[in-house]
Amino acid sequence: MSTEVALPILIPLLSGVVSLLFWRQRLVQRFVAVAGTGSLLVSGLWLLSSVSEHGILVMQMGNWQAPFGISLVADLLGAIMVVMTGIIGFAVALYSLATTGRGHEAFGYFPLMHLLLAGVAGAFLTGDIFNLYVWFEVMLVASFALLILGGEKAQMEGAIKYVTLNLLSSVIFLSAVGLLYGLVGTLNMADIAQRLGQVEGNGMVDVLAVMFMVAFGIKAAAFPLFFWLPASYHTPPVAVSALFAGLLTKVGVYALFRVFTLIFNQNPDYTHEILLWGAGVTMLSGVLGATAQFEFRRILSFHIVSQIGYMILGLALFTPLAIIGGVFYIVHHIIVKTNLFLVSGFVNRLCGSYELKRLGGLYRSHPWLAVLFLIPALSLAGVPPLSGFFAKFIVIRAGIETEAYGVTFIALLVGLLTLYSMIKIWAEVFWKAPPETRKDEPEVAPIGQRELWQMYLPIVGLALCTLFIGLYGQPIYALAEASAEQLLDPTRYIEAVMGRSTGVTP
Amino acid sequence: MTLLWIPLLTLLGVLVPALTARRGRGFCTLATVTLPAMALLLTLSQVPALLDGELPRVALSWIPSLGLDLAFRMDGLSLMFATLILGIGLLIILYAHFYLSAGEPYGRFYAYLVLFMLSMLGIVMADNLLLLWIFWELTSLSSFLLIGYWSHWTDARKGARMAMTVTGAGGLALLAGFLLLGDMVGSFDLGVVLSSADVILADPRYPVMLVLVLLGAFTKSAQFPFHFWLPHAMAAPTPVSAYLHSATMVKAGIFLMARLHPALGDSELWGWLVTLTGMTTFLYGAWFALLKTDLKAILAFSTVSHLGLVTALLGIGSPMAILAALFHILNHATFKGALFMSAGIIDHETGARELGKLGGLRRAMPITALLTTITAASMAGVPLLNGFLSKEMFFTETLDTALLGGLGWLLPVLATLGGILSVAYSLRLVHGVFFKPAKEVPPKSPHEPPRLMRAPVELLATLCVAVGLFPAALATGILDLATRAVLREPLDFHLAIWHGVNLPLVMSLAALAAGITAYGLHSNIRHFARQFAPIDARLVFEGTIQSLVARTQTLTHRLENGSLQRYMSLLLGTALLLATLGLVELPELAGDKPTQPLDAMLVLGSALMIFAALGTAITHRYRLISLLMLSVVGLVVSLTFARFSAPDLALTQLSVEVVTMILLMLALFFLPQKTPQESSASRIIRDLVLAGTLGMVVASLNYAVLTREIDSIAGFFIANSVPGGGGHNVVNVILVDFRGFDTLGEITVLALAGLAIFKLLNRLRLFMPHSDGEGRVWSPDRYPMILTTVSQALLPLALLVAAFIFLRGHNMPGGGFIAGLVTAVALILVYMARGVEWTQNRLDFPYQPVAIGGVAVATLTGLGSWLFGRPFLTSAFGHFHIPLVGDIELATAMLFDLGVYLAVVGATLMILANLGKLTTPHRPTKEAPAVSRKETPAPPSEEAPLILDTEKSQRPSKEKA
Repeated sequence: MSTEVALPILIPLLSGVVSLLFWRQRLVQRFVAVAGTGSLLVSGLWLLSSVSEHGILVMQMGNWQAPFGISLVADLLGAIMVVMTGIIGFAVALYSLATTGRGHEAFGYFPLMHLLLAGVAGAFLTGDIFNLYVWFEVMLVASFALLILGGEKAQMEGAIKYVTLNLLSSVIFLSAVGLLYGLVGTLNMADIAQRLGQVEGNGMVDVLAVMFMVAFGIKAAAFPLFFWLPASYHTPPVAVSALFAGLLTKVGVYALFRVFTLIFNQNPDYTHEILLWGAGVTMLSGVLGATAQFEFRRILSFHIVSQIGYMILGLALFTPLAIIGGVFYIVHHIIVKTNLFLVSGFVNRLCGSYELKRLGGLYRSHPWLAVLFLIPALSLAGVPPLSGFFAKFIVIRAGIETEAYGVTFIALLVGLLTLYSMIKIWAEVFWKAPPETRKDEPEVAPIGQRELWQMYLPIVGLALCTLFIGLYGQPIYALAEASAEQLLDPTRYIEAVMGRSTGVTP
Repeated sequence: MTLLWIPLLTLLGVLVPALTARRGRGFCTLATVTLPAMALLLTLSQVPALLDGELPRVALSWIPSLGLDLAFRMDGLSLMFATLILGIGLLIILYAHFYLSAGEPYGRFYAYLVLFMLSMLGIVMADNLLLLWIFWELTSLSSFLLIGYWSHWTDARKGARMAMTVTGAGGLALLAGFLLLGDMVGSFDLGVVLSSADVILADPRYPVMLVLVLLGAFTKSAQFPFHFWLPHAMAAPTPVSAYLHSATMVKAGIFLMARLHPALGDSELWGWLVTLTGMTTFLYGAWFALLKTDLKAILAFSTVSHLGLVTALLGIGSPMAILAALFHILNHATFKGALFMSAGIIDHETGARELGKLGGLRRAMPITALLTTITAASMAGVPLLNGFLSKEMFFTETLDTALLGGLGWLLPVLATLGGILSVAYSLRLVHGVFFKPAKEVPPKSPHEPPRLMRAPVELLATLCVAVGLFPAALATGILDLATRAVLREPLDFHLAIWHGVNLPLVMSLAALAAGITAYGLHSNIRHFARQFAPIDARLVFEGTIQSLVARTQTLTHRLENGSLQRYMSLLLGTALLLATLGLVELPELAGDKPTQPLDAMLVLGSALMIFAALGTAITHRYRLISLLMLSVVGLVVSLTFARFSAPDLALTQLSVEVVTMILLMLALFFLPQKTPQESSASRIIRDLVLAGTLGMVVASLNYAVLTREIDSIAGFFIANSVPGGGGHNVVNVILVDFRGFDTLGEITVLALAGLAIFKLLNRLRLFMPHSDGEGRVWSPDRYPMILTTVSQALLPLALLVAAFIFLRGHNMPGGGFIAGLVTAVALILVYMARGVEWTQNRLDFPYQPVAIGGVAVATLTGLGSWLFGRPFLTSAFGHFHIPLVGDIELATAMLFDLGVYLAVVGATLMILANLGKLTTPHRPTKEAPAVSRKETPAPPSEEAPLILDTEKSQRPSKEKA
């Protein structure tokens, strides 16, 4: 029995339950926040090392042999994603200690965060398509609750759009699952993959594939399905934005990777061609949207969209190198984007605004913060030797090797526009002299020493990760390579899940 | 390994200024200089090996799978450039020591400068294309930081952004070019690439690749039409301009062309592209250098022009042309570096850089005047100076090349023209600053700079003269090594001042004479040029960016206008489009499975459902009716479940339906009385089409799936429910055992939803409507007697039913979920009948812990199986004989089901009771709308009813709607 497969789901679930039971005890909640996310990270690392050692790990829930029960499956991609969940959860939990107001804590900020992480980890580890839907719901409701915690008007407006559009995604997803069950009579993804091979007439399969594409495309914020993201991400407290930015869309991307390598891989000329175009338009529309923004977090939000395009591009090109690039990109982007949001929160804490025109002068007053912004920002733009360069490089190289020149050109162009955008933030927030303070502006409270550390620590940690991935890229690359190998050879996954003959051992 | 120390020392050197900045500027400068100086010595120590014909190399693997190695080489070309970079870099640091004013953060400046030095060294020493590219980008980055050093100054910020964007764009083109190149050759190793010229030239992708690589080189080396960023980069402090924008960084593009010349250079396309671009740039830069009045702008455009000259030589590409190009790179670095530093000295000591404000400085600064005159003369190509020699060689090559065929005579003519302009602007510079009488008094009283600040200029000027006089002795060695690296074979050449009277000499002399004349006619030329509207590259650039921003803003607003309806229609439209595309491809919709026979029940049921669904949409303005229609749909669905023998589902659907309806009624109560305006006709049509087609597509999909045979896993569940799960009710066993994990997730969702709604409603201040939509006041009879009585009697009964349903759930229709809902409904009934306060006093506990407790019980049950070494949620069951009760079957799944029960009760009540609480007496009430004033003016109710008086509001009057 491989306990480590279930732990990353159960730890945050239990942390959430425990901190809910201590509803009024702020200190307990804060302690559980750090301890819970910390142990999530540890369990993730355990899982990853165990998977890289023993190959794909499977736990049959309730001891029901697949495909009848629910299987938890940890392949390399899933394990990597769980580790990322742990890293981001831990960083954001630390950061939240300093930035979350008491009002938020009183309404269950920390428990919601744990349950969100449980949903994310569940989505990464489940091997069952309906169970994936369940974890999506956990994520959706938890994130909705986190969005409305502040109760401000803008937050409500954003949250309504967020939840409505995401519920549409759920509806489409659920219908697709139902139809898929109607077609193959099973819900276990490995089993589906096996049986789809026997279904004659690919027509129906293609239609279903496209429905899944739309459902996950909404989650992943691909064009033209991304509108919920820029509508809502800039409204909640920054720690929430950072958590969402790092993880939520990536769950959609992960689901696309999973489904379109394992299940819908028979007709890539059709499905992956659609993905390819989607990737191109997504990259472009996101980055163009960002050029038109002048609010720190809104710029970052639009860049999430364009970066999602790169990841989908990796999947769409569907060569080993491209998949490696996609995986590498996901890993890099989770770290970098979360960090950028954390920095934006720091800036807001210092200057009391997210509007570029009301910020400035931080290069002189906080040079280290400037450096800490520059590292993830340049990494996002793909400047070497940071993590983003390698991510972009691999994807672009894969594009050139498959002679997909059109999207490769877009990918390069988008890289340039991203760079421009990051420079814009840099020039406005850090270089520009601070604007005259207006009288009606509220005084920004001074930051205490402990608070400062709680904010700096996760930012520095994530920046170091970015540098590490860049300078010491070979192990990460090897990991991405191994996971791409697993993804492109679904038989391994299927064998690991379906195992021996389908006997029942109650 | 010594080779590795050259970049490594420089890398360490980046940290030095940051660490020593606090210990005084003098110390910091000295400390900063140390490591690069050692690197320079190491570089020079490679000379013997090079002379022996060796190629020192070192390679460490970085990401071998990507073909990226940390590989360095030191051939003649690298040696020449590395010496230039480190040598001039050291002089610049010395110069900057005096140039920066006291209050400026010099530590940061030095650090950036050394970082730049490192990146340049990386470019020239890289033995791997990808590594080269990485350093290439680093130069852009460090120059960005250096140009924006005076960041409070708008020009500096804008100049930096422009430089970064343009060179960044070039960099990306270069990356694409390198990737193509690597793909052709199969390696990114420089050695392999350089020796695969035949493969590369034969590849059909060669032209594209070449253009991409050249784009990178041209943007970096400010070739026309990408030159525009360079003059604006002059917003940087002068040491930066001198170092980056004349001596080194702009030479990176030229270096790249020289470096790749063996692999790419042997083609017509190369010749045409590179030569013509170079010639155009040469003339264009020279022309504008003549027109500018700012000292640094003149120098910037003259740099552009000289870079063009070198590029043209590389384009011509004959061995002697390469030699000339390399020689001119060296010469240009010496005289232009010196000139920039002089300009900086003038700026520093007088406070002015405009030609109009300067003049007659030869008295105040005689030595600077002499130095500037020498170096400017070298720039103009006056004999006996180094600039003359390489320019002469340039003239020779333009005469010798076969390029342009019949129009070949054009090149020397253009070259001479450029020479004339160079002479004119050099003369203007020197004359205008030092000899012409001053029009204005400069801001500061001018005097000679500190001795050491002038030292770098003196050294470079001396080099100009020395190389000019003794070229063979001083320059042959390094040029020999460098040309050997580019041409891959030794070149037999002889540098001399005097080649006899020949055509190039005539061209030089003509250029000199005509240049002097041109300077005489300078005012006429300027007058002529004034007819053309001046194009400020920055304005154009910013304008382009602005219009791009404006356009994307329009586009973004059009797509992303904040309207949820639009987002939804886009989203559904996409789903529709993609699904339809797939369906169209399908040859036949129906599968092989025969359809079931129809009976009257089915027809009636579906007709009812269709009618109710349509009714829901049509009557949406009368909310209550619409809601009732919706409930009909729900009821028919549960009947359908019953009809197709799924009593469990029917029961669940029924209770869900009841709870949902109560919830919706409560919510409706608070909605504004008037529905907003009806959508426009076009919008209705859009929505109708979208909804209709989507419905049809989904129906078709369902039909297609349902008519196909499947072999599902359902059989297993039926077969194993009793032996494996210990229950006869398969649905329940699936819920709590087979797929208990799903249920765990779902009750978490439920608890989360409860929490979210708890938060949403907390402190929410809603206005309680005074009357319904038609203005009828709520019934004064808040707690109807009958309802109160019945509900009280019903509660224990309902709880009993719930317990019964729960217990029998494992074997008969029922289970924790349904039981939970029944309990919740019974409690809600009490709330409705008695009011929130009354009930709350008697049920005095919060519901959150109940819901959370449910999740906890379920999770812990699952974890319990780990104690027995089984996977999560493994169930166990057994038969126990209890006295009196008899034989009873207990399963751990029941414990899990208890968790489900608790979660359902807790969450449902959390939602409903909180929503109901909003109507307690303390909430403000809203004034009755004007329309309803005519009706019975009811006294403001101190305690409002929970739900509206249904009897009245069921009859909406058409006239008022």
